[in-house]
Amino acid sequence: MNSSTTETVAVTMPQMGVSVAEGTVVEWRKRVGDWVQADETICEISTDKIDSEVPAPATGRVTEILVEVGATVPVETVLARIDTAAAPGEPHADEHVEAEADAAAAPEPRPRRYSPVVQRIAAEHGIDLDAVPGTGRGGRVRKQDVLAAVEAHAGNGEPPMHIESPYRPQPAPEGAPDPAPAPEAEGDPRSRMRRAIGEHMLRSLRTAAHCTTIVEADFSAVEAGRSTLGLTYLPIVARCVIDALREFPALNATFEGDRLVRHTDVNLGVAVSLGDEDGLIVPVIQQAQLVSAEGLGRRIVDLAHRARAGELTNDEVTGGTFTITNPGAFGAIAATPIINQPQVAILDLEAVVKRAVVVTDERGADAVAIRPMANLCMSWDHRAVDGALAAQFLSAVRRNVEGWR
Amino acid sequence: MSERTYLQAISDGLREEMRADERVLCLGEDVGDFGGAFKVTDGFLEEFGEQRVMDTPLAESGIVGTAIGAAVVGMRPVCEMQFADFIACGFDQLVNVAGKMHFRQGLAVPITVRLPSGGGFSGGPFHSQNPEAWFMHAPGIKVVAPATAEDAKGLLIAAIRDPNPVCFLEHKHLYRRVKGEVAAGTYETPMAARVARPGEDLVVIAYGAMVHTALEATEDLGGARVEVLDLRSLVPLDEAAILDSVRRCSKVVVLDEANRTCAAGAEVASLIAERGFEDLDGPVVRLSTPDVPIPFSPPLEQAVLPSVDRVKEACSELLDY
Repeated sequence: MNSSTTETVAVTMPQMGVSVAEGTVVEWRKRVGDWVQADETICEISTDKIDSEVPAPATGRVTEILVEVGATVPVETVLARIDTAAAPGEPHADEHVEAEADAAAAPEPRPRRYSPVVQRIAAEHGIDLDAVPGTGRGGRVRKQDVLAAVEAHAGNGEPPMHIESPYRPQPAPEGAPDPAPAPEAEGDPRSRMRRAIGEHMLRSLRTAAHCTTIVEADFSAVEAGRSTLGLTYLPIVARCVIDALREFPALNATFEGDRLVRHTDVNLGVAVSLGDEDGLIVPVIQQAQLVSAEGLGRRIVDLAHRARAGELTNDEVTGGTFTITNPGAFGAIAATPIINQPQVAILDLEAVVKRAVVVTDERGADAVAIRPMANLCMSWDHRAVDGALAAQFLSAVRRNVEGWR
Repeated sequence: MSERTYLQAISDGLREEMRADERVLCLGEDVGDFGGAFKVTDGFLEEFGEQRVMDTPLAESGIVGTAIGAAVVGMRPVCEMQFADFIACGFDQLVNVAGKMHFRQGLAVPITVRLPSGGGFSGGPFHSQNPEAWFMHAPGIKVVAPATAEDAKGLLIAAIRDPNPVCFLEHKHLYRRVKGEVAAGTYETPMAARVARPGEDLVVIAYGAMVHTALEATEDLGGARVEVLDLRSLVPLDEAAILDSVRRCSKVVVLDEANRTCAAGAEVASLIAERGFEDLDGPVVRLSTPDVPIPFSPPLEQAVLPSVDRVKEACSELLDY
């Protein structure tokens, strides 16, 4: 190699979103001495939100790899260098030329293909087939597998947000010894996500002046409407919240430094559990004010599936202006959620339960009736608004919920 | 009700229908004095006389042609082929004359052609064939193939009463092996499929003797619930029943004893591919006899006919898919 003509280009840890400050190298696809084409994947990285591949910024030979697998480094850190003056024909002691041959010899696992009936059932029930374990030959997903997934899906009645992830790790091969307990490795995506959630939540508690306001709403109208629409409570409440946010734009806002910016579009974050221990992610429905309750329902199901499959793009987890969380599917009746920074409020939809309530008929006579009731708990930031506005906003949500049609 | 063999049930059906309807007559080689090659018409000559039980020369085209003429003037003839294979000699009368009569002249030809068919008894290439597909391919002819004694009687009566020419495939291997409770008196079995055993993991679609092969092969397949659909009628083909089974089971083995190419099972498989596609969870598997004449040699014959073991293997294979 003629070093006098060496020109190098740095490969850096990319910025994966405004709130993402660091990333972890998960795998190097190239070694020092390898030839790499521009835009070819040089390594895989993982942030607290998503996994991604880093494309080579230029064509050339990898001369240096500076960050090892498992290391977490700040955004813009140089990961590797590429010599762009090198020529592909030049021999190199370490040249890793068999990359193509390797790929042919050990092909990627065959893409999963699904039979017509499996695809139809999955489409009818909104099942993400990639997450369904197959028991057929070669791990093929059979009809009974997708039916089992449908059953697991339906078993929860009114779930779809905070249910356990349908993903199951591949069982260990028979006869194999019990896998050693996973080391507390830095690169373990689960612990990294837990750590990221913890840091994010603590930062929010330190930053915002949290206060929680609760109203109780009668879900009779929603109950009637949702069965005809085939929806869960969540998309309907989401639609009611969006309408209320248009009336009270002070809550559809984010802090940018010391400045509070009100947004025209409602980019609605919806918290999705990734399973008992796998953490939480908040996909964002951009411009949710343009979407009907039915559309929201579909978008939420789609985002939740793809969140659990790890397929969300960066744009789908950033830019939120308000967040809804819905752990009520598990029966909780009140909570004080932590605001998703830099937003100014988060609304928590709790379980809809039948309660005896006093209702007043049109002639003013009171009676005790059994109604499906739920608490709407909203944590808001005293730096941005005051309690009166929070209460007015929640009353507007309640009015929208009770008058749903 | 009484227990009857498949053969006795056919004999009963014919006799009772002849008693019930004086337009019904039977004709064929040795059906009179001798009582038929397999004794289906034993005693018929004494009971019904030679006007209604007619011995014919060795001439299948004459038997079918005579029956067509009688049918056109109002009779309900039942022709016996000694072996289904011999219908080849009556092919022109059956396919070109009987099958087209309604379309050319607007005349009904209510004849029934009894076709003792199938192998399994070392009958060799001329006495073991399953020629049903020849007639499925010819418009204007119905084709039925019972698997049980009860259906043999009911389908024969239904065939006699049908205004169209009907080929009645009676499987020789079932004659004395299959027994069942058969109702007394005349009754008709619908020309439609029947679920011989309900299931939901896989369906074997068969007719005639292969229904029994299918039932035996899938009785115990590691707990799998295997459906067996007995077609009973090939023309008309019970498309609704086939598609219904496919919808429930999603995996299909189509089994027939005839030579593979263009057999009844090919038509069933094509129907499923076209109209059951979205219900399928695996390839439609066909089992049949390869495209060879049936050998005399008993081990060779057993090697070409679909056996219980072959059906078992194919079903297990598909269940695992």
